[in-house]
Amino acid sequence: MNNTDHAIALVGVTKSYGRTIAVRDLSLEVPRGKLFAFLGPNGAGKTTTIKLIVGLLRPDTGWIHVCGHEVGSNGLAAKAQLAYVPDQPFLYEKLTGREFLYFVAELYGISTRRRDSLLESLIHRLDVGEFLDQLTESYSHGMKQRVVLAAALLHEPAVLVIDEPMVGLDPRAIRVVKNLFVEHTRNGGTVFMSTHTLDIAEAVADQIGIIHRGKLIAVGTLDELRAQARRQHSLEEIFLQLTEVSDG
Amino acid sequence: MADPLAIPPTRSLLGLLLRVKVRSMWNRTRQAVNEAPVRLSAAVILVALIWLGLYWLFYLVFGQFRRTPLEATVAIPLVFNFFFVAMLVMLTFSNAIIAYGALFGKTESAYLLTAPLTPRDVVTLKYLESTVMASWSLILLGLPLMIALADAAERSVLSVAQRPVFYAVFIAFFLAFIPIPGALGMLLAWAAARFCPRRTIQSAAVAGGILVAGFVIWGMRSLRLGETDAEVWLRSFLARMSFIESALLPNNWVAAGIDHMIHNQLPQSLLYLGVTLANAFFISWLAVMIVSRYFDRAHDRAAASRSGSKRPASQASGGLAGLLFFYLPPPLRLIAAKDLRTFSRDPLQWSQLVILFGLMALYLTNMPTLRVEFSGSGWFLIIPFLNLCAVSLILATFTCRFVFPLVSLEGQKLWLVGLVPTPRGHILLAKFAFAMTVTVLVAVATMALATVMLELDTVWAVIHVVVTVGICFGLCGFSVGIGARLPMFNQTNTARIANGLGGTTNLLASVALVATVLIGVGVATWRSRDLTSGRLPDVASLAICGAAVLVTIAAGLAALRIGARHFNRVEV
Repeated sequence: MNNTDHAIALVGVTKSYGRTIAVRDLSLEVPRGKLFAFLGPNGAGKTTTIKLIVGLLRPDTGWIHVCGHEVGSNGLAAKAQLAYVPDQPFLYEKLTGREFLYFVAELYGISTRRRDSLLESLIHRLDVGEFLDQLTESYSHGMKQRVVLAAALLHEPAVLVIDEPMVGLDPRAIRVVKNLFVEHTRNGGTVFMSTHTLDIAEAVADQIGIIHRGKLIAVGTLDELRAQARRQHSLEEIFLQLTEVSDG
Repeated sequence: MADPLAIPPTRSLLGLLLRVKVRSMWNRTRQAVNEAPVRLSAAVILVALIWLGLYWLFYLVFGQFRRTPLEATVAIPLVFNFFFVAMLVMLTFSNAIIAYGALFGKTESAYLLTAPLTPRDVVTLKYLESTVMASWSLILLGLPLMIALADAAERSVLSVAQRPVFYAVFIAFFLAFIPIPGALGMLLAWAAARFCPRRTIQSAAVAGGILVAGFVIWGMRSLRLGETDAEVWLRSFLARMSFIESALLPNNWVAAGIDHMIHNQLPQSLLYLGVTLANAFFISWLAVMIVSRYFDRAHDRAAASRSGSKRPASQASGGLAGLLFFYLPPPLRLIAAKDLRTFSRDPLQWSQLVILFGLMALYLTNMPTLRVEFSGSGWFLIIPFLNLCAVSLILATFTCRFVFPLVSLEGQKLWLVGLVPTPRGHILLAKFAFAMTVTVLVAVATMALATVMLELDTVWAVIHVVVTVGICFGLCGFSVGIGARLPMFNQTNTARIANGLGGTTNLLASVALVATVLIGVGVATWRSRDLTSGRLPDVASLAICGAAVLVTIAAGLAALRIGARHFNRVEV
């Protein structure tokens, strides 16, 4: 396999916490320009997989490549292609949203002119202008999530890795974020998204992976998953059937 | 879209990271000035008062030395040696604790690690941050020390015109010294994460406890008064402590440099400053290199250790809670039992209590030697009183740091606890019962040991124990009551809750309460000159002690009442 063909490639990855195996022998390829939805019950290993991809954890065995760069040995190059939005977004409490976005732009070496033009579009689309000059400590979860998304998209990453993106967002913001993700993939970017919101995954994902008890039990397009489950039903029913079969 | 195959240049972004920190600090200061000017003014006045008090204390000490120039020649470098060796140990530990949170915490460091930053930039930033956070108290202590030393020095040695140079060199010594414990602390934090990631804090608490206990046992052996001749004892003690004057230790470089400066020997002083600076730079460089080189593995192990391990509901702790809180009605017993379980699972809390009272116990077991030395002198009257002072101040520290945040933390779970079928104010009673039980058990045991070791008269032993219980009552009442009146419901960090406006108010009130009670007991002790003669203290002394206990109980009840009234109305 040539790992440069894929935005994300995991090969035989295992990660354990003490005696608990969180991810076992996971191999997965996410092609460029696709939106990949990563599903699984609570504690299935989704967040661990994401942390492995973004380099916050090291695999016990196996390799992880992002845009052809091995995360362990060439982390800096891999991280330059990545943007990561965790389930609990981080912002400096004593900075305003605008100061934080300027910081991110400088972190990724974006020129002031380019930063201003990109920010103008993101501020408008994510509707963050009203509170962007307040200290972030006063933000609600949804406001934080929108500013962090703006920060993540600011440097136009090749791969956007996002953990539970819709939590805390109002319906209008959810629509905007879905559109941003789709647009990102149309422009050649890749989105790797973990979620429990199955109807969103069903609506926007090009590919879906289901992880259960640390093992990848199904991967493919929605139609391929339907074929695997031998059902012509919703993703919710497919998900429940596949995870139950795996339990059985 | 970024070029996926591009490899970014490895440029240092430390300057950018530092600018963000400075900007955050600037915003914080501006916010404090605009939104809480009274609080800020109160803090500034308080710091100024502490500085003045410390200046006065240091001036008295150095003035005393000046009266006997020959002794001062020996004593002043020794005082500085002890001061800086103590600072070296304390700052190394506080740096280790702060650096661990800064390097391996879940929030900022995790965010920075997903950005295209070199580990060296992240580690250097965290090193600087934790060193500043852990060491500001040294500056707070150091400034009045420096001014007092200059003011108390002989005018023939250090003229007014020379003082600015003295101040500048003194500050330079402090700044050169601080990175050394900072670097040692960061190495300790990294080693803890790298080599014992499972339950790191527990391991650190146990290791710290063992180290402190070992240090104290060794220290007490050094202090043991085997000889009745004070001069022989002093010589023996100094001989045992001579290792701290080793030329390889940084405290000795700083002490020697300051001593040269006091005697107006600038070139010699600058030589020691150069030695300190060179070593500080070297150890800082070494620590940053080692930690950043092996940072990812340590971070991985620390992150993995946070995944949590199974903790079965302990029948033992449930049974113990039932025994300790048998007098509480069932819903309140459950809340107190929950607090006891949380306490037992937080080594930061119980280890501090164990270490502080463990030190007291070690000291008390050495009481007989002191008793022999001081028998027949006025000192013997003071020793039990000093024991009471020490226990009271330890109690105040514990209640302000750990009991005060309990109500604020509960406020975040009020959706659950508030539904308990009992008035909300009664929840405070459960908190109070929990705090009172823990503090009384430990403090009374310590005081009982003290009275036994000193072979104190029964009446005085009872007085000391009753006063201790009274102080526990007052301090717990203050911490719970003020904690409910001035809570910080939006904060989960207990240190920040304890350091906020409510915490500071509680600290000042607790110190004032302890001082009031101790002044009363001190007067009563002084009136009863011979505690071991078997004579009862006079009625006035008993009345003073009784009044002191009643005052502390009344103050505790008043604080609880005020807190309960507010807590019943509060909306979270």
